Amino acid sequence: MPRYAMVIDLQRCVGCGACSIACRNENNVPEGIYWSNKITETVGTFPNVRHHYIPTLCNHCEYAPCVRGCPTQAMHKLDNGITMHDPKKCIGCKYCEFNCPYGVIYFNWKDPHQFWRNKNALLKGGTASPREEVKKVGAKKTPYDNPERGATLPANRSKGVVEKCTFCDHRVKKGLLPRCAEACPANARVFGDIKDPNSDVSKLLGKFRPFRLREQLGTNPHIFYIRDFNPAQYTQTKGGV
Amino acid sequence: MSAKKGLFSIWMAILGIVVLIGLYTTYKLFTVGHVLFNTNDVIIWSLPLGVYIYLALASSGLTILAALPLVFGIRKYEPFAKRLVFLAIATLCGAFVSIGLELGNVFHMIYIMFSPNLSSPIWWMGAIYGLELIVLIVKFGLMHKGDWHSGFSKALATASFILALVAPLMIGSVFGITESRVTYFGPVMSIYCLLMAFMSGTALFLFYSLIVNKLTGNGVPTELYDEFALIFTFATAVVVGFTLLKFAIESATVVPEFLVYHQFEHAFGAIRGIHMEVLLGLFLPFVLLLFPSVRKSVGGKIAASALILTGTLFMHMEILLAGQSHPVGPKAEQYPEFINYFPSIWEFLVFLFALGVMLLLYSLGERFLKLTEAPE
Repeated sequence: MPRYAMVIDLQRCVGCGACSIACRNENNVPEGIYWSNKITETVGTFPNVRHHYIPTLCNHCEYAPCVRGCPTQAMHKLDNGITMHDPKKCIGCKYCEFNCPYGVIYFNWKDPHQFWRNKNALLKGGTASPREEVKKVGAKKTPYDNPERGATLPANRSKGVVEKCTFCDHRVKKGLLPRCAEACPANARVFGDIKDPNSDVSKLLGKFRPFRLREQLGTNPHIFYIRDFNPAQYTQTKGGV
Repeated sequence: MSAKKGLFSIWMAILGIVVLIGLYTTYKLFTVGHVLFNTNDVIIWSLPLGVYIYLALASSGLTILAALPLVFGIRKYEPFAKRLVFLAIATLCGAFVSIGLELGNVFHMIYIMFSPNLSSPIWWMGAIYGLELIVLIVKFGLMHKGDWHSGFSKALATASFILALVAPLMIGSVFGITESRVTYFGPVMSIYCLLMAFMSGTALFLFYSLIVNKLTGNGVPTELYDEFALIFTFATAVVVGFTLLKFAIESATVVPEFLVYHQFEHAFGAIRGIHMEVLLGLFLPFVLLLFPSVRKSVGGKIAASALILTGTLFMHMEILLAGQSHPVGPKAEQYPEFINYFPSIWEFLVFLFALGVMLLLYSLGERFLKLTEAPE
C-alpha cells in the first residue's frame, strides 16, 4: 500500500492560485471554504520588503489531531495515508476544525451554493437567473457541478458538517493525480508515494532540505516544502558597526 | 396557599413559553443552520458551548457534593441528598439542550454508539455524561422509593461520584490536548475544570436551596447551610489559589502563542491585567466568604453564590473565546488578526432554552418529588 505525500516546490510556485481554482471546481467547494489555500506574509520595512507565498492544503498528518479527536470516526485515515472525512457520520461538533493546527478544515454553517438557487435574474428578461443557469446546463447544485466527486464523498456536502481536502482520493483511486497537482502550470506540486524510494517525491526529498508546517507539534504532516523563490541580489558585505 | 398556587401557575406558564421559544429556536437551527450564530471558522465554539461547559460542570459539582451523604455516609447531610441528585439531573439536562443545539448534525449522534473513537476526549465526555445521567436517574428513582442504603443503591451512588470526578477531567482534556492551542494549558485545564465544577456546583446548590427556602418557607435546618457555606469557602479558596497560579504561569511565559493570547484575553475588561470576571466573580465573593458574619447570613450566602455563579459563566466564556480569537494558519488570509464576538439572538435563545428546561425540571421536582425527604 502506498503512502501518499506531496512536495511543493516554492521556487516553481508563482502564486497564481490555479491550484485553488482547480480544487474548487473538482470538489464542488462552496463559497467561504478553502480546501486549497495559501499563507502570505510580508516581511521587512519599506523599501526593503519581501512577499512570501506558501500554498496550503490538508497536511494528511500521520498523527492527525483531527482524526484522534473525532468522536465518531467520521474523520479517519485511509490505508494510503489520506485523511478522509465521512459526512454521514459527522455530528458537526467541529472539534476537528478546532483541533487542526493548520487551519484547513471548514464547517458548513449554511446550505452550500445558496447563490445558485436564486430565482432572480440580474436584468429581468435580459439575463438568466442563477437557478435557470444551473437548470440549463443540467447540473445539480452549480453550473460547474462535478458529479465525479461523488464517487467517494457526497458530491456536495450539506450544512452542519465539516469538509476539507482529501488529496482528490476519487482521482487517486483511478490512477489520476490530485487536481491541484495536475492544474499547476509550473509543476510546483509533486505528488506520489513516499514509501517508494524511486518516486519523484522521494527523490526530491533526498535532494533538498524540506520543511513542513508546525513540525514541532509532532503530527508528522505529509506536505513538504522545498526551495524558495528569491531573485533578490545584494552586494557582498560584512556589515558594519 | 392559593396565592402560592397562583404564583406557581404563572411561573410554569413563563417556563412553558420559554420552552416553546426554545423549540422554535431548535426548528430554525435545524432548517436554516448554524449560520444563525455569530460564529465563523475562527470563533468556532461560542455561547452555547460555554453554557454547556458551565452547566455540565455545575452538574458534576452537585453530584460530588451528593457523595458526602450518599457515598461517605455523612448522615446529617441526608436531607440535602435527594435535592442534590435531582438538581444534578436537571442541570445536566440543561447542559444537553445547549450542546445538542450547538452540534451541526445532532441526528448523527447515533454514531457515538455505533462508531466510537476511544481516543477522542469528546467521545469520553459524551459517554461519561450520558452514563452519569442514567445512573443519577436510577439512583434518584431508588431514593424516591425509599431505597437509600441497599447495596445496589450505594453502588450507584459510588458510580455517580466516580463519573462526576472523571467527566470534568474529560471536558478539560477536550481543550487541553489541542496541539494548536497551547493557551488552553494542557493537563492544567482538566484540573481547573474539576475545581470549577465543585465550586460552581456548591454555589448552585446554596443559591437554589436558600431561594427555595425563602419562597416556600420549609426546608432543612439553617445551621446545616452554614456548614455547606464553609465547604463553599474552601472550594472557592482552592479555585482562587489555582487561578493565581495560572495567572503567574501565563504572565511569566514567553511562548509565542501566549504573547499573542495576552492581546486578546480581556473580553470582559480588566484592572491591572486581572480579568474583571475573576475580580468580581471569584475574588470578591471569596473575600466576602472570609467574613464569618457574611458566611452565616442567608443574604451573604446568596450574594456570594450568585456572584460565583455569574463569574463562573464569564470565566468559561473568557477562556473559550480567548483561545479562538485569532485565526489559525491560512485562515488569516480570510479573517482579520482579531475577531470580535458578541452572541447572536439565537445563541441567547439557546441559553434561555437550556435554562428554561433546567428551571422547569427544578420547579416540577420541587413541587412533586419531595426533594428534602430523608430516610428515618
